[in-house]
Amino acid sequence: MLSRVADSLFWMSRYIERTEGILRMLKINYASSQDNTSEFGWNPVLKTFSFLEESQIAKIEKDSRAVLRFMVIDKDNPNSVVNMVTKSRENARAVQDHITKEVWQCLNEFYHIVCEDKLSKSLKSEDPVSVLDSLIRQGMLYYGTTEITMSRGEGMCFMSIGRYLERAIQSTDILQVKFKELPADDAESVTDPSSWKYFLMSISGYELYLKNYRSGFEVKNILDQIIFNINFPRSVHYSVYQAQRYFERLKNERNRDSYDKVNFMIGKLRSNIKFSNVESIVQEGLPNFLDKIHQELFSVGDALNQHYFANS
Amino acid sequence: MNSSSIFESYPLAPNTWDEMYAGKDVRSPYQDIYEFLQAIPLEELNKKEDLAKRLFMSQGITFTVYSSGEGIEKIFPFDIIPRIVTATEWDSIENGITQRLKALNLFLKDVYHNQFIIKDGIVPADLIYSCPHYIREMQHVNVPHDIYVHIAGIDLIRDHDGTFYILEDNLRTPSGVSYMIENREITKRIFPDLIPRNNVRPVTQYPNILHKNLVALSPRPTANPTVVLLTPGMYNAAYFEHTTLARLMGVELVEGRDLVVENHHVFMKTTNGLQQVDVIYRRVDDDYLDPLVFNPSSELGVSGILSAYRKGNVAIVNSIGNGVADDKAIYVYVPEMIRYYLNEEPLLKNVPTYHLKNKDESKQVLDNIQKMVVKKTNGSGGYGMLMGNSASDEEIAAYKKEILKDPRQFIAQPVISLSSAPCYINGKVQPRRLDLRPFALCGPSGIEIVPGGLTRVALKEGSLVVNSSQGGGSKDTWVLSS
Repeated sequence: MLSRVADSLFWMSRYIERTEGILRMLKINYASSQDNTSEFGWNPVLKTFSFLEESQIAKIEKDSRAVLRFMVIDKDNPNSVVNMVTKSRENARAVQDHITKEVWQCLNEFYHIVCEDKLSKSLKSEDPVSVLDSLIRQGMLYYGTTEITMSRGEGMCFMSIGRYLERAIQSTDILQVKFKELPADDAESVTDPSSWKYFLMSISGYELYLKNYRSGFEVKNILDQIIFNINFPRSVHYSVYQAQRYFERLKNERNRDSYDKVNFMIGKLRSNIKFSNVESIVQEGLPNFLDKIHQELFSVGDALNQHYFANS
Repeated sequence: MNSSSIFESYPLAPNTWDEMYAGKDVRSPYQDIYEFLQAIPLEELNKKEDLAKRLFMSQGITFTVYSSGEGIEKIFPFDIIPRIVTATEWDSIENGITQRLKALNLFLKDVYHNQFIIKDGIVPADLIYSCPHYIREMQHVNVPHDIYVHIAGIDLIRDHDGTFYILEDNLRTPSGVSYMIENREITKRIFPDLIPRNNVRPVTQYPNILHKNLVALSPRPTANPTVVLLTPGMYNAAYFEHTTLARLMGVELVEGRDLVVENHHVFMKTTNGLQQVDVIYRRVDDDYLDPLVFNPSSELGVSGILSAYRKGNVAIVNSIGNGVADDKAIYVYVPEMIRYYLNEEPLLKNVPTYHLKNKDESKQVLDNIQKMVVKKTNGSGGYGMLMGNSASDEEIAAYKKEILKDPRQFIAQPVISLSSAPCYINGKVQPRRLDLRPFALCGPSGIEIVPGGLTRVALKEGSLVVNSSQGGGSKDTWVLSS
C-alpha cells in the first residue's frame, strides 16, 4: 500500500473518531446543562476539545447554544465537527480506490449534511439533542458501513490503528481535564453525584459503571474503569490493546526494521498500563501518569508517521 | 394535464439537423422515448431530474471550485433525455475513427523516427518543428508495440444534412469517459426499463478493456505487473474521473510525490518500502510530467521519469509528444495521412480548415471573419477561440491583432451549425446543440471503441460551444444494437 494512502486512511479514521467523541460529549453535556444550571459549565469540554484561551472560554461557557455553534459549525474552530468531517472526507476523497464505494458515499453524505445551511438553522432553533443525535447517527453509519464492506487488509489496519489511538488520546485528555482540580488520593471527594453521572454518560460508560461498582461514585472506581477496564470500549487500556492488535497484523519480512521500532513503543505503552493499577498511579501522582501515557501515545503517532507514512 | 404541452415549444433552428425531429415527424429511434416523455406527468419528470442531481452529489461525481479558500462542490450539468445513435450511424463512426486512429499512430511513429511523410512532401517540416507539443526528446525512442495513442477522445459534430465531421483529435489526455459510464448508471436509476426496451448497447466494459491493454504493455515479463494511474491530485477538475477509473480497474491511484526514479526504474513508496511500477496511465500533461526535462517548477510530475521511459523500463500511456498529432494545424493533413499510410479514402470528413500562416487562406478568413470560428492550434477547453458570428467588433479587432502577431498559432473553420437534440430545461423540452466524443482504445490486439461516448451539449440557448468551461453539460449516449 502507498505510504500516502496509509497516512490518509489513518487520518480519515482519526477525524471521524474525534467527531464521534465530541458529538457524544456535547450531547450529554447539553442534557446536563438543562438539569443543573447553577453548577454546570462548558469549561471542561471546551478545554478538552478546543484551543481557546481561558478568557475566551469564560465568554461562552454559560451559553449552551453558543458553545454548540462553536463546536459544531464554526469554521474558525479547527476542532469543530464541520472541520473534522471535512478533513475526514478530504482524506477519503484522496483514497477512494482503497475504501469501498459505500464508505465513500457515507462520508460524502456526512460532509454534505454538515455543510448545509439547514444545520446551522436547526442548531439555532430546534432541539439540540435531536440535531446532535442525527449527526451521531451519521457517524454510526460510517462505523457500520466500514465493518460490513471493507476488506480486512492493510487499509483496515491503518484505519483501526488511527481510530483506537485517537480514542486513547481522547480518554486521556478527558481525564486530564476532569482531574486537574481534584486530589485523586482523596477517595471521598466525590460530592456531586449527578455531575459524575453525566460525566460517565458522556463517554457511554455509565451503565457499565453501575453494573461493576456497587458503592456509588468513587474516584478510584471511575479511574479504574476509564484507564484499566478491558471491557470498556473507551478505556485507555482497551484502546491501546486494540491498536496493538491491528498493528501486529502489519508484520512482514519486507519492513522488519520499521515494524520492530513501532512495535516496541506500542508494547512498552501497553505494559505501562497493564502493570499499573489505581493504587500505583495514585502513589505516582495521577497527573504524572496521565502525562506519560499521553506523551507515549503521541510518540506512537510520530513513529508511524516516520516509518510507515514516509513523512520523515 | 395536457400531455402534449411538453413538446409544444420546440423551435427547430433553420438549417440544422435535429436528432429527434425530421421536419414534423419524430425519427423512429426516438419514438419510444418521445412517447414515454409525453405520457409522464411534469411533476414526475421534475422528480427524476432532482433524483439525478442528488445521485451525482451523494456519489461525489463532482468537481470542486475554490473561491476565497472555500471549496464548493459542483456537478457537471446533466440533461436527463438521452441522445440516441443508430446502429448504422455507429458503424460508420466506428470504422471512421478506427481508420483515423491507425493513421495517427503511424504518423507519430513516422514523425519520431524516419519522417518519410516529411521527406515525401506531404506535411511541411516547419509545421512539425514549430508545434509546441513536438517533443525532441522522443526522437528515435521505441515505444511498446509502436502505439503512441492508447486512448483517443475524438470529437464529432453533425452538419445540417446529418453528416458526421471530425472536429478535433484529442490524443494527449482526453477526459470525460467517466461521464460515459456514470451517466448511464444515472439513466438506469431515473428511467427504469427504458434501456433494455430500446436495445441500448452497454458501456460498462470500458475499464476492463483499458486494463487489459495496460497490463499488456508491461516491459517486465511478469504475470501481475504493477499498473498505476497518475493523477495531478484532488484539486484537478477531473479528479473524480481518475478515482473512478482507478477503482473500476483495480489499479493504484498515485500522485507524483508517491513515485521516485532510481537507476532509470520507477518505484512507488509503499508501507513496505519501494515497489517497482511497470505501467503508468498518466493524466498529467507532458509539460508537467518530468521537471528535469519539461517545466522545472512542476510538482505534479516525477524527476527522471522520461529517462526511465526512454530506456523502456516503464510504459507510459498515452505516450509523450502526441500533441504534434492533434495540433489543429496538423489536423488539416490527417486526410492526407490516411491516404499516405493506409492507401484508403478517409471515411469521416474533416471540417474545412484554413491555416492563417498561409497568406491567401489568411486573407480569405479575415475578409469573412463573421462566418468563421478562429481557434488556437494548441488550445483546448473552448478557451481563446473567437466565434465570428457572435463576437463584437472590438473583440474581432483585438483578436485580429493577436493573429497577426503569430499566425502559426491560429486556424479558422467556417461556423458549422452543430446538430440539435431535445433537452429538458425549465419544465419544457427544448432543442440544444451537441457534439459526440467516443473513446477509442488502442492496444496490442487492435483498436476497440466502446459503443457510446460523451455527448456534450451547449445548454445556453442558441450557443454553439459545448465545452464544460463555457456552460456546457452532458447527456447519456445510447448506441442502439441493430
